[in-house]
Amino acid sequence: MAVIRDMIPAFELFQPTSVDDALSLLAQHGDDTWVLAGGLDSFDWFKDRIKRPKVVVELSGVEELKGIRSTEDGVEIGAMTTLTEVATNSEILANYGLLAKAASQVATPQIRNQGTLGGNVSQDTRCWYYRGGWPCYRAGGNICYASAPQAMNREHCIFGADRCVAVNPSDTAPTLIALDAKMIVKRANRERVIDAEDFFIGPGTDITRMTVLRPGDLLTSIRIPATWAGASFYWEKVEDRKSWDFALVSVARAMRVSNGSITEARVVVNGVAPYPMRLDAVEAAVRGRPLSEETAQMGGEVAIRRAKALRHNDYKLPLIRNLVRRALRGRPA
Amino acid sequence: MAEKLIGKDIVPPDLVAKVTGRAKFAEDFRAPGMVFAKLLLSPMPHARVRNVDASEALSMPGVLGMLTPDDLPEAPPRSERALTYEPLYEGEPILAVAAVDETTAADAVERIKVDFEPLPFVLDPLKSLHPNGPNARTEGNYFFRSRDPEEQGFRTLKWTEADFAEAGEGRMPMGEPQTEWTVGDIDAGFAEAALVLDETIVHQSLSHHPMEPRSAMAYWQNGKLYLHTSTQSVAQTRVGVARALDLEPDDVVLIGEYCGGGFGSKIRGSPIQLVPALLSRKIGRPVMLRITRYEENYIGRSRPGFQARVKMGYRADGRVTAVDLYIVEDGGAYGSGDFRTAGTVASLSYQPLSMRLRGVSLYTNTPPRSAQRGPGGAQIVGMLEPIMDKAARQLGIDRVAIRRINAPDNNGWLGPQRASLTSAYVREALDKGKEIFGWEEKIRLSGRRNGTKVTGVGVGLSPFVGGSTGFDGLLVIRPDGKLYIHQGIGNLGTHSIADTARAAADVLGMPWNRCVVVWGDTSNHLPWSSVQAGSQTTHAHTRANHAAAMDAKRKLQEIAAREFGGSPGDYATADGSVYLRSNRLQRMSFAYAARRAIQIGGKYSGHELADNLNAVTVTSARALAGQGLVAAARDTYRHEGSTWSFVVGFALVELDVETGQIDLKEYTAVTDCGTVVHPRSLAAQLHGGAVQGFGIARSQKWVFDPQWGVSFAKRFYTARPPGILDVPLEMKWGAVNKPDPQTPVGAKGIGEPPVGAGSAAVASAISDALGGQCLCRTPLTTDVILAALEGRKQPYGPLEIHV
Amino acid sequence: MDFWRRATNPWDQDILIGIAWDLMWAAAIVGVVFLSGHALYMWLLAPKKKLSAPVGPNEAAAGLPDRIVRHTVAARTFHWLMSVAMFVLLITAFFPVVGIQFAWVTIHWIAGLGLLLTVIYHIVHSIFWQDLRSMWISQEEIKGAASEVARFFKRSGEPGSKPGKYPLDHKLYHHSIIVVTTLAIATGLLMMFRVDTPFWARNPYLLSDQLWGVVYVVHGLSGVALITLIMTHIYFAIRPEKLWITRSMIKGWVRREEYLEHHDPKRWVVKKEDPPTLTGVAGSAQLREGVPQNKRSNN
Repeated sequence: MAVIRDMIPAFELFQPTSVDDALSLLAQHGDDTWVLAGGLDSFDWFKDRIKRPKVVVELSGVEELKGIRSTEDGVEIGAMTTLTEVATNSEILANYGLLAKAASQVATPQIRNQGTLGGNVSQDTRCWYYRGGWPCYRAGGNICYASAPQAMNREHCIFGADRCVAVNPSDTAPTLIALDAKMIVKRANRERVIDAEDFFIGPGTDITRMTVLRPGDLLTSIRIPATWAGASFYWEKVEDRKSWDFALVSVARAMRVSNGSITEARVVVNGVAPYPMRLDAVEAAVRGRPLSEETAQMGGEVAIRRAKALRHNDYKLPLIRNLVRRALRGRPA
Repeated sequence: MAEKLIGKDIVPPDLVAKVTGRAKFAEDFRAPGMVFAKLLLSPMPHARVRNVDASEALSMPGVLGMLTPDDLPEAPPRSERALTYEPLYEGEPILAVAAVDETTAADAVERIKVDFEPLPFVLDPLKSLHPNGPNARTEGNYFFRSRDPEEQGFRTLKWTEADFAEAGEGRMPMGEPQTEWTVGDIDAGFAEAALVLDETIVHQSLSHHPMEPRSAMAYWQNGKLYLHTSTQSVAQTRVGVARALDLEPDDVVLIGEYCGGGFGSKIRGSPIQLVPALLSRKIGRPVMLRITRYEENYIGRSRPGFQARVKMGYRADGRVTAVDLYIVEDGGAYGSGDFRTAGTVASLSYQPLSMRLRGVSLYTNTPPRSAQRGPGGAQIVGMLEPIMDKAARQLGIDRVAIRRINAPDNNGWLGPQRASLTSAYVREALDKGKEIFGWEEKIRLSGRRNGTKVTGVGVGLSPFVGGSTGFDGLLVIRPDGKLYIHQGIGNLGTHSIADTARAAADVLGMPWNRCVVVWGDTSNHLPWSSVQAGSQTTHAHTRANHAAAMDAKRKLQEIAAREFGGSPGDYATADGSVYLRSNRLQRMSFAYAARRAIQIGGKYSGHELADNLNAVTVTSARALAGQGLVAAARDTYRHEGSTWSFVVGFALVELDVETGQIDLKEYTAVTDCGTVVHPRSLAAQLHGGAVQGFGIARSQKWVFDPQWGVSFAKRFYTARPPGILDVPLEMKWGAVNKPDPQTPVGAKGIGEPPVGAGSAAVASAISDALGGQCLCRTPLTTDVILAALEGRKQPYGPLEIHV
Repeated sequence: MDFWRRATNPWDQDILIGIAWDLMWAAAIVGVVFLSGHALYMWLLAPKKKLSAPVGPNEAAAGLPDRIVRHTVAARTFHWLMSVAMFVLLITAFFPVVGIQFAWVTIHWIAGLGLLLTVIYHIVHSIFWQDLRSMWISQEEIKGAASEVARFFKRSGEPGSKPGKYPLDHKLYHHSIIVVTTLAIATGLLMMFRVDTPFWARNPYLLSDQLWGVVYVVHGLSGVALITLIMTHIYFAIRPEKLWITRSMIKGWVRREEYLEHHDPKRWVVKKEDPPTLTGVAGSAQLREGVPQNKRSNN
């Protein structure tokens, strides 16, 4: 079968208007069903004819999946809320600026207008071997091309490799973990509330998926508890270009400081592992420490303790170390 | 007397259509019964097609036919054809299928079984030079050109193990060259030098990626081919298509009113435009071939990368005594010769007391190369300018000063023949640039640290060829009183169709609102024009239109003299009238003159033409004959020496020492391109070209998997041309604005040199921010910079390419 | 049902990448069918035998200890270590396939190396301390087996002679395991080039992708064969009439009566007088396992 790209093959399109309808469609059509949010990841796959679902359930008509609502304990963001809305919402800006900042740096204004928060966290990796349709582990094969001795892997992982060395590309994902967000996942007659940290999975758990979502599952909303509301936040994304680029490395940090000491911190990095990675060791190491250059330096070193570079991505070690240092210096950025 | 148009901003005639979306590009056209074609591309970097089984695809409902290499006209063995059975790079088109819609065509392509036999492939010319290295083509690794057909042909060049061993780790080996020239005594040059630098440098290959992919639509009507295509040049593309299909130029109607960028990749359109033409002839339906971004990455041409070794000697005062340059060029699947231009540009930039160029250009199994905006020049400028900085630092000379010391002037020379220049005002450009950019204050910021940010300041000098001669101008003054300026050049966004037309308007003193530019459709009778490439157009066609306008003016004066008496020299033209100089009331409108020309006939109405015109112009002029006063003339103005333009770029960057991120804060470009024709358009060229240069210096790349020879940078987001946020908010510009003495309007071309200036200035500024460290590679991405800052091993070997 | 998993490589060539997981289910079904068939047969059709026919005191029993060593500590250690490795391997191999997800790769290859070590241990041990020939299948045994089969179908005739230490079916089973495990280990070792281990740099291009396909298929086939083989093994181990053998793999000994009932003392000669000790060290004289006659004579 000859390869041809840039032409979407036919599929059956469903555009439900309620979550219940969406869920029953997903249940009815089984494994060959694709959930389509903003389409920025999906259409790439479709255009390249690599992922060829028979049925596509498109969610833009489901109003209940959109919008940002205040709750007793924080906010709840519908999965179909656009990144632009997330980046400009006053409550998020006021209390969870970390997420707003990350959302505001996704790709381009056009993509942020179209892309959704749910889609952003559920997107697939951008490993170009996998995206090229190569039959790697993640595609159900038995090989990782990106970690071969001569492979091109400057954008691949330094932590968490398990056969696959791809990285999670999401900008908002690490901020949601830092904010201790809860992901609401529904499937026919069942609702799960999953910690953001557990929502993302590594290749060890399932090499073909980036998140816990399985066919039939629908991420309906994301709840951000008030736990970190108004805390000190830090977000930084390093990319090759200033727009329309995925992070080479990013860091999200939430921190509470009292009397010049770090009482509690959450430090999450992305672009370095197949999942957004919480740096528990760094968090533990800096807890109770004074907010100082020394602490920052130490935290940076702790961050890369178990990192292992591939052939072309050694720079990610100093990069993530330096970003963690910056994050721990406590100055907002 | 109408105000001179040259030097003033105008609204180009295509502007409204473009910004409102009414402008129709090749893929916007539809013809009755039109069908769509899709291509089947080679999955392998080098293969031979053993068999094609398309039976299933061709029996699908809606599928109308297939075009294979067997259906193409014969071509010389080394030249690229639109389709091939021996693909030389991954993504080379094998065949095309036509169907009622694109979805069906794509489904059909998917069902074709092609049996490919993989052949050895090579991505790196240095690997092909290894004694046991593979060749990119079965016939050899380069093509030896010779006038003697016996001698000409494919050959294989290999270097010895000793050549490789001698260079040592990380240094470019220098075995037997294909080309070598020397000017002066380079041994003496180095002996005289107070400082000698010897560096190995790598410049990436990169795709053109114009916004509009090379789509085309074709149909045949009464034996004529109607081809809507995306091309930089109209008149010459028609001739090229006619030649390729063995047709008379008159049997090709080529429509290319708008071109969404070419940058050298669509000089005469591209080979793939023959596919809809031939497929349409085969199936008897109009065929549209829309090229996708993915396909454009493969067939859309690219700039050849260089691996180079450069040794430069300097006197203590900064004067360059010797340049010894060895370039290994990645010629891609069908070859390239940028390195020759690179050598010439190096000689021009630094006017060395002695120079040697050696080079090889080898085939690799990577997409085809072509000219890319400043071919050879942009590469070498970006590679050598940081070395000039290094020398300036070591010699304690200001970096602008060292360029000033070596810059060419009107007595400058270039290349192996020590060719002369028509004009060069480089020192003036450097001085003006220093002033506009504020070099003296900015240089004080160099190395200043603010938090984690360090400021770097850079300068880059970029020459490029700026014009050709000998083309034709064709004008008609019709009885409606308007001046119709026929342009066979293309319209690729540079405003050339309007800007060069103004040379004619100015000669006749014609107000711009009574000028009509006719372009883009060969059925409108266009003259023979230069290709719109090599920054030729401004020079070539201000001359050609000037010549034609002079012809028109002469004819107007003669008609006036016939009408009112006196000698033609007593009459002048302005504001759409020809009048007696001594009595302006004695006048005749152009409208009237046009009617008189028709009545008089002969040379006035275009029925008699000068005999030095190109056949294309003759055909067009004949078609226009009798419609008014027809003026057609060939540019025969004096021209001795080589015409070159120069751009000096200045950049200020901030480097974040913790992340390796570069923030380009300021950019200024100043040019010597002779007389400024259209300031706003010139600014667009200076800045637009610079943006491409920023991409070369910082982000845009090609990446291949070495094991499979398959490309990854085939989408914008992986190829990474610069985005708008990578461009400084405010960019400044300036021009020396001194006319070139050897062209009537004084204007030289400016399309290309801005690229090298942008690339070199940014590379120079980054190197400055790194404390003078020259990383000797493009692009300078975060990983490369951070490794240097952190003192870690560089992510890529010094000669590693396609990474 | 699919037998193979195929894929398209980066050059659009069709390649083999492994067995279809349908084969895993097929292996399990084959196992279940065989076991249930056997169980039904044994329950309904097989001639009823007493589980332990009383063996009267006779001369053969004279001087024999009550408990006869069948498996030394060393042999049992091997068996159980191997079985642990095998179970870990099977679980890490197939649980993820059936949807129980966890990070299995590292455990899998470490268990594989464990298996390899136990196998090496077993080879060394059996060459130098055990009698290889006890596992040899003689022509006589094959003939015996043939007549047993004939007798089964005719449902008449005299039972054949008793086996030595290991009956033919045990030997056949053992040899099947040898073949399958060797293939699994050999291909598994090669496959370690495809993942990160501390031993060597990952190199997925060690073999051509067609050859890798063969490696994966062989590994997969041996893996699913092990499912059936181990199902059978466990089934027989827990069958009431075989429990005495299972016990010997746990405790090391068989009862004198069992020995006499199931084995031909001429083929499995147990040294008399010396009471067995179950705590001794492998290789000490008194713990030497029974050695068949022919070996003796060769000495």
